[in-house]
Amino acid sequence: MSPDFQNLNSRLKTKDYRLFLAVLCLILAVTNAPSTAEGAQHEKPTVAVANYPLKYFAERIGGDRIKVVFPIPLDVDPAFWVPEPEGVLTFQAADLILLNGATYSKWLNKVSLPRRKLVNTSQSFKDQYIEIKGSATHTHGPEGAHAHAGLAFTTWIDFQQAIQQAEAIRDVLARLIPEQKNDFEANFSALKDDLLTLDRRAKEIVTNERAQPLITSHPVYDYFARRYGLNIKTVLWEPDEMPSNEQWVELISILRNHPARWMIWEGEPSPDSVDKLKSMEVESLVFDPCVNVPDQGDFLTVMKQNVKNLRSAFR
Amino acid sequence: MISIHSLEFHYRYGEFRLSVPEFRVTQCEKVAVIGPSGSGKTTLLNLIAGIFTPVSGTVSVDNTEVSALNDARRRDFRITNIGFVFQDFELLDYLNVLDNVVHPYRITRALTLDRSARERAVSLAERMDIGDKLTRFADDLSQGEKQRAAICRALLPHPKLILADEATGNLDPENKTVILDLLFQTVEEHDATLLAVTHDQELLKRFDRVIDFQDFRHRDAA
Amino acid sequence: MIDSLYIAWRYVRFNKIKTATLIACITLIAFLPLALQLLLDESERQLMSRAVSTPLLVGAKGSALDLVMNTLYFDDEVPESIAMMDADRVEESGLAFPIPVYARFRARDYRIVGTTLDYFDFRGLEIAAGRPLAIVGDAVLGAAVADRLGLKPGDALISSPENLFDLAGVYPLKMNVVGVLKKSHTSDDLAVFVDIKTAWIIEGLGHGHQDLIKSQDASVILKRTEKNVTANAKLRIYTEISKLNLDSFHFHGDDSKYRVTAVIALPNDTKSGTILRGRYISDGATNQILKPADVIDGLLQNIFRIKNVIDGVIFLVGIATVLAIVLVFALSLRLRQREIQTIFKLGCSRMTIAKLMGAEIFIIIVSSVVLCALMIAVVNHFSNDLVRMAFIR
Repeated sequence: MSPDFQNLNSRLKTKDYRLFLAVLCLILAVTNAPSTAEGAQHEKPTVAVANYPLKYFAERIGGDRIKVVFPIPLDVDPAFWVPEPEGVLTFQAADLILLNGATYSKWLNKVSLPRRKLVNTSQSFKDQYIEIKGSATHTHGPEGAHAHAGLAFTTWIDFQQAIQQAEAIRDVLARLIPEQKNDFEANFSALKDDLLTLDRRAKEIVTNERAQPLITSHPVYDYFARRYGLNIKTVLWEPDEMPSNEQWVELISILRNHPARWMIWEGEPSPDSVDKLKSMEVESLVFDPCVNVPDQGDFLTVMKQNVKNLRSAFR
Repeated sequence: MISIHSLEFHYRYGEFRLSVPEFRVTQCEKVAVIGPSGSGKTTLLNLIAGIFTPVSGTVSVDNTEVSALNDARRRDFRITNIGFVFQDFELLDYLNVLDNVVHPYRITRALTLDRSARERAVSLAERMDIGDKLTRFADDLSQGEKQRAAICRALLPHPKLILADEATGNLDPENKTVILDLLFQTVEEHDATLLAVTHDQELLKRFDRVIDFQDFRHRDAA
Repeated sequence: MIDSLYIAWRYVRFNKIKTATLIACITLIAFLPLALQLLLDESERQLMSRAVSTPLLVGAKGSALDLVMNTLYFDDEVPESIAMMDADRVEESGLAFPIPVYARFRARDYRIVGTTLDYFDFRGLEIAAGRPLAIVGDAVLGAAVADRLGLKPGDALISSPENLFDLAGVYPLKMNVVGVLKKSHTSDDLAVFVDIKTAWIIEGLGHGHQDLIKSQDASVILKRTEKNVTANAKLRIYTEISKLNLDSFHFHGDDSKYRVTAVIALPNDTKSGTILRGRYISDGATNQILKPADVIDGLLQNIFRIKNVIDGVIFLVGIATVLAIVLVFALSLRLRQREIQTIFKLGCSRMTIAKLMGAEIFIIIVSSVVLCALMIAVVNHFSNDLVRMAFIR
């Protein structure tokens, strides 16, 4: 290209002017590109959750508008997680931290989390928390001893309460991204319908025989029992362990005044336990609270199966 | 060189009066002025230097009528044409010998302290035998050395007239002669005129002329 | 002019002691009020900027100044405590966001500040090395603390016992240094930050079941005490939170009744702030709410009143000094009368004599100004720390 200015000028006036415009457009496009890319890359708000049901609710309501993180390992009961710094930092980095409330996350008083980001999803029914009388400490899994004292915390298997928790999530998400409020509302409605269906089914099953005595293998069914009118007494058994002699003795003494014909397990019980129970004319069924991500399906399918399983006890 | 005509002088206060009808000193002459204390010898030097101005009459130095110049011109005339040598040397204690010698150059714009002036100061000091003491402070010098430095200071601007006020008065006899010799020598070398006030009878014979001041002084009682 | 300056320079050099004395006098009389002003300005800046950026403070009724000084500058006077539920109450009001502060304990010479992570956001504190607080027992150090104690992430810092003879229950806590903050040039540089729950552990409200280091029997320690090694014996026993005992760590009692020294309340807006303040006025309860800026303003008013008196004194001393200096110059002029006469005879004008004197004064004053400026520059450079040493801590 000639450095002669006049030459350049005349060139610009002629057909090369179009080339010039094209180059200009290209330059503008290139300089603009990072900003548009930035806009597209703009990080989705992150929502950290304290257990699987909350993860499921947040994902259903938030859809692809948010990123849901669940920093607790999949093989751990999220209530009894032994916190390690990396996981805590992941919680801290989120824009919102959804907690179950009812003293669910026992690790909460061992970690530092920004108070401003904490959301207690069960705040709206906190005056209806169930207090567990007496302390029962036991050992299972890799986490060591833990206690089921204080408040019952498996709030979401009362599906009415689950709806309230989902509602709380809808509200904080709408506050976090106000422009998506309608989306969240629509997603919540769909979730609510699903939960209401579960609720209706559970009610239908139980209303037939309210007073039927049942044994639960773990003290996590208090809210469920309260909502749907189950008559339960609980032991502290693990599905994958054969109960000790003392535990069998304890069961027999309970059965004396509480002639249950079904035992509700958290997870698939060992065949030995099932057989021995059968010999005592006690059948086994599984009702999985679904605290962590299920191997198959999701919260809804697991709960549907739970309700289905429960039906057998009321036939 | 010096020409005084019908000079009358008295201080504003006091009874002292000086009257000089006629007084002349020719170029290169070395004249001694003697007379008792208070006879006005120093006053005469101050009149010639233009430090005092006469009440009447004229004082001319080198054909310049000093008494007719204004204050600033008189000072410039004095610093360029007249060298003063004092009885108490009047060196500045906070300056070294070299700085003392070139001091007149620093306190007036009539003289410019350039390289040649400095070189002359050094060679003059060497001539006066204090070349090795240029960085000494005045207080570290002997009386004789001090007066040598003072003479250097007086001679450095090439004055046409040297006024010496009891220049040897504070020196021991041995130094007196040496200093006076040096003074005479350098005055001659510079083609300068010397007017010296002195009490020292022994030295008088070495001057070209001796003027007894008794003749000029009047104590006007009438 | 150069000649005059040269001569004056020789003169002031020759009269070293006189010159030095004069320069010292002038320097001091100029330096004192300037330095005082500088330090006061800096203290005002430090006190005020932090006070202004802290909208409201809830604390126990009592000395407002103690409450503000302890919460904002981690001062030694620890105010009466209030309960954690007072922080919850601020949040439940829906008017403001609470940041609890428990600035009671110390580690070496530094305040341990128990708070929530929100404090770091609120103050804009950033991590320079390591990571933020995550697990109880973690500590994040202010820049100056890390610097002076030579600590870095991975090191440990043991809390100081409140009272050497407090043998009954509470052991010092060995905190894990996990992070160091960027220098903020505020009191935060001089604090050891821990989670508020960690502060409660230091208080003895939480503990684990297998504290390995604590395994020694208390009676053994008491015996040791009688053998006059109280401090050593005491310091050798400490609690530590580790992976081994973290799971068993738990708190006793109702944590809403746990103590904090203050709650920083960040109102949603001015109106909310006003309403919140009103609640505490009508409350008649044990708590007070205050605006730190008001308290610090009152403090500064007092400081400035004192400063005015000092200014007056300095002014009088200044006049006396100036008079003395004038006298010194006058005397020196008389001493140099002969010199002046001599140079006058040589042909020097009165103007030049005035110039010589002026040059001498000029040299002395310029030297004083330069010296004073240097000293002021030094004070200015260290004013940030000086103020914190002298006025705040």
